[in-house]
Amino acid sequence: MADRETLEVDVLIVGGGPAGMAAALRLAQLQKAKGGEPLAIAVLEKAREVGAHMLSGAVLDPSTLAELIPDFKAKGAPLATEVQRDDIYFLTRTGKFRLPITPPFFQNHGNYIISLNRFVKWLGGLVEAEGIDIFTGFPATEVLFDAATGAEQEARVAGVRTGDRGIDKHGQKKSTFEPGVDIRAKVTIFMDGVRGNLTKSLVRQLGLDENRSPQVYAIGIKELWEVPAGRTEPGRVVHTMGYPLKMEEFGGGFMYSLHDNLVSLGLVTGLDYRDPMFDPHVSFQHLKRHPLVASMLQGASLVRYGAKALPEGGWYTVPRLYAAGALIGGDAAGFMNSARLKGIHLAMRSGMLAAETAFEAIGKGDTSAAALKVYEDRVNASAIRKELYPVRNVHQAFGYGSLAGAMFTGLSLFTGGWWFRDPLPAHGGWTRIEKLTEYYKDARPDSDATVNPVKIDRQLTFDRLTGVHYSGTRHPEDQPSHLIVHDASVCATRCREEYGNPCIRFCPANVYEMVDDGTGRKKLQINASNCVHCKTCDIMDPYQIIDWVPPEGGGGPQYEGM
Amino acid sequence: MILVVAEHREGKLNRATLETIAAAQSAGSPVKVAVLGSGVDGVAKELAAADVAEVLTIDDAALKEYTADGFVLALEQLIGRENPERVFLPHTYQTRDFAPALAARVKRPLVTDCVAVKGNGYVRPMFQGKMQADVAVEGPHMATFQIGAFRADAMKSGGSAQVKPASVSIDASKIRQKPEAPFKEAKQAVDLSQAERIVSVGRGIKGQEHLQLAQQLAQAMGAELAASRPICDAGWLPMDRQIGSSGQTVAPKLYVALGISGAIQHLVGMKGSRTIVAINKDPEAPIFEIADYGIAGDLFEVVPAMIAELNK
Repeated sequence: MADRETLEVDVLIVGGGPAGMAAALRLAQLQKAKGGEPLAIAVLEKAREVGAHMLSGAVLDPSTLAELIPDFKAKGAPLATEVQRDDIYFLTRTGKFRLPITPPFFQNHGNYIISLNRFVKWLGGLVEAEGIDIFTGFPATEVLFDAATGAEQEARVAGVRTGDRGIDKHGQKKSTFEPGVDIRAKVTIFMDGVRGNLTKSLVRQLGLDENRSPQVYAIGIKELWEVPAGRTEPGRVVHTMGYPLKMEEFGGGFMYSLHDNLVSLGLVTGLDYRDPMFDPHVSFQHLKRHPLVASMLQGASLVRYGAKALPEGGWYTVPRLYAAGALIGGDAAGFMNSARLKGIHLAMRSGMLAAETAFEAIGKGDTSAAALKVYEDRVNASAIRKELYPVRNVHQAFGYGSLAGAMFTGLSLFTGGWWFRDPLPAHGGWTRIEKLTEYYKDARPDSDATVNPVKIDRQLTFDRLTGVHYSGTRHPEDQPSHLIVHDASVCATRCREEYGNPCIRFCPANVYEMVDDGTGRKKLQINASNCVHCKTCDIMDPYQIIDWVPPEGGGGPQYEGM
Repeated sequence: MILVVAEHREGKLNRATLETIAAAQSAGSPVKVAVLGSGVDGVAKELAAADVAEVLTIDDAALKEYTADGFVLALEQLIGRENPERVFLPHTYQTRDFAPALAARVKRPLVTDCVAVKGNGYVRPMFQGKMQADVAVEGPHMATFQIGAFRADAMKSGGSAQVKPASVSIDASKIRQKPEAPFKEAKQAVDLSQAERIVSVGRGIKGQEHLQLAQQLAQAMGAELAASRPICDAGWLPMDRQIGSSGQTVAPKLYVALGISGAIQHLVGMKGSRTIVAINKDPEAPIFEIADYGIAGDLFEVVPAMIAELNK
């Protein structure tokens, strides 16, 4: 067996998304300005290629980009579609009402409709041009710690361990086995995305969420469509509220028109729903059958499918952002403005600030927790807090229903987010799901059926498995499941009785199935190779017994153009 | 006269032999069948039920195990004695092993892998099946027939042919090959892409214990057994029998999908099949969109009926 290798760097950035790429670019800029011996910098990315796991709506606020790369246009940033028009519709089952004015949070003048996949690929090219290595296909599976020394109170983050390769589905080493690499760094910047597996373990191990509200997530399901020529109005942004969601459910639809007859279409739904039978994927199919969307998609063809969770909880859920040898940023830290539906610019901003902090700390030879706390101070003084603080209670207000949430959001414009209770009480999204008997009382539905079924016509509407095909997802089959259910006996017994196995509905990729076990009972089957890495199961399972861990490097979706 | 060379192993007739007899019958002239081996009475008797003129046996201890030299020695003498206008063989691995040497020895042209008889000539595929060539042959010759080109059940039976030992002497010292005991193919050796016919099962088969039903159908059709992903995931069939985007891609002449709904991941692995037959309970199943023949019904009723019909 090969020995485990160790790689030493100065700064390790875990996660090659907009935050991580911005951090790498900012480090390169600081390095250039200072001169001298360059720092050793590495970026780890679990996807096979840069950008392949990127999925967002996406409307980009270019403010951070303009600071980081002032000549972004000359450098060929893929921002072809400037927003021309914003509309918000309230939908009923077949009807639509356009809001006469677009509320300020939804105004996108000066913003761009982008493909985050293309955007991050472009950023990755700039990073590599600076001589920084992006290790694609290398997920990190473990945070490495060194024991606390001297004045330090906590164990020190020393880097990460990457995943082993070449393990078969029974956990045995194959002939291709290669142990993971230990990458040790003076500062490790965790930008592993929404519900990142390393940030999750780091926050738990060091208690970084102490005195913070629990994070609340949403799941976004998105499709890219190519529609007949002449139908789109490139730069048109449409947001929808109401149907197909119930008033008690947080979320809404989006339909963005890009160039080349492409339409980016999606539905974001809060992962704090009450109805255990709620099915985000079926809801998305209903949205596509609504006349507003169906008229756009008539005769169009599906290009790509994907899903990803979003951190909706806001300012009060942001964890402590530093530890000895470690910084956290981007979606992993929860930097998303759920009132504006934007986070890319905040993620990039946090990447820049993390880079500046790490660069200075390494220059001074002090990367202790106290030295790295500067990062949190910088975030507090930055546009991130300025934008997130006034909307700090917005998502929580939606806990009182969509109407209350919308009114509170409007009110926040005048009150700066103040309320009689501040912070508003917050609950982990998964704690709000109700048991079948609570929600449906005596009219308990069949948990293997859909409460609100949709006809799958394979023109507008598709089943999950077809979606998985269009997500380009690939994982080598012969590897251990990367979805770890700590007690699968709960599934067929308690969960089936209490919640009717919500995993088979909230997973947008048909990973979870309850199949006959041969004795007339059901058992859980995990189709791990379908996983699109959205993290919803890790977030939403009512017993909190599912752990999403990275599969063998390179596996996952291929979100070309998403 | 056409002489068909039968193929069998340990008393079990290779079905391709029946196909070759069917080919010979369609060609018209009297047909004789040669059976080589040691203790071949059973096989000979089985073949005598076919509508042929004679079954000639060469029963010799030296032919107990197949060797190329043994077969060439035996058939060289038999062809010399019977002087058939044509010699037909099934295009099997065994035939491919000895037929070229035999053709050279008896100084006859050899037309291989034919799919049809056309007058005095044959039709054979070229360029991996993209084109078909008509081949004309002059004088006595040999031809081999692609498996599946003729149907075994199209063979005319009902004859009561005489089984006649052919007097052929084999000098065992002239056999250079020393066969080892036959070994099982390596486990990963299933190459479904080579299969002419495939019976593929999906979730509709319900339980592992029902797989034998599909197996029986596959056997009756001379088909390979394959499956969609859930079956292999459940470990009911090995992974190397999985068809689809995470398994093998196949394009057989005939693909019978049993209880397969037709997820796009499966379709990309088999949509190139020439004829697709789907049996599924759900008439809305996407498999019917690409099937040439669809039966919306219960496979547990349909498949036994198919097997019964095939075995008639």
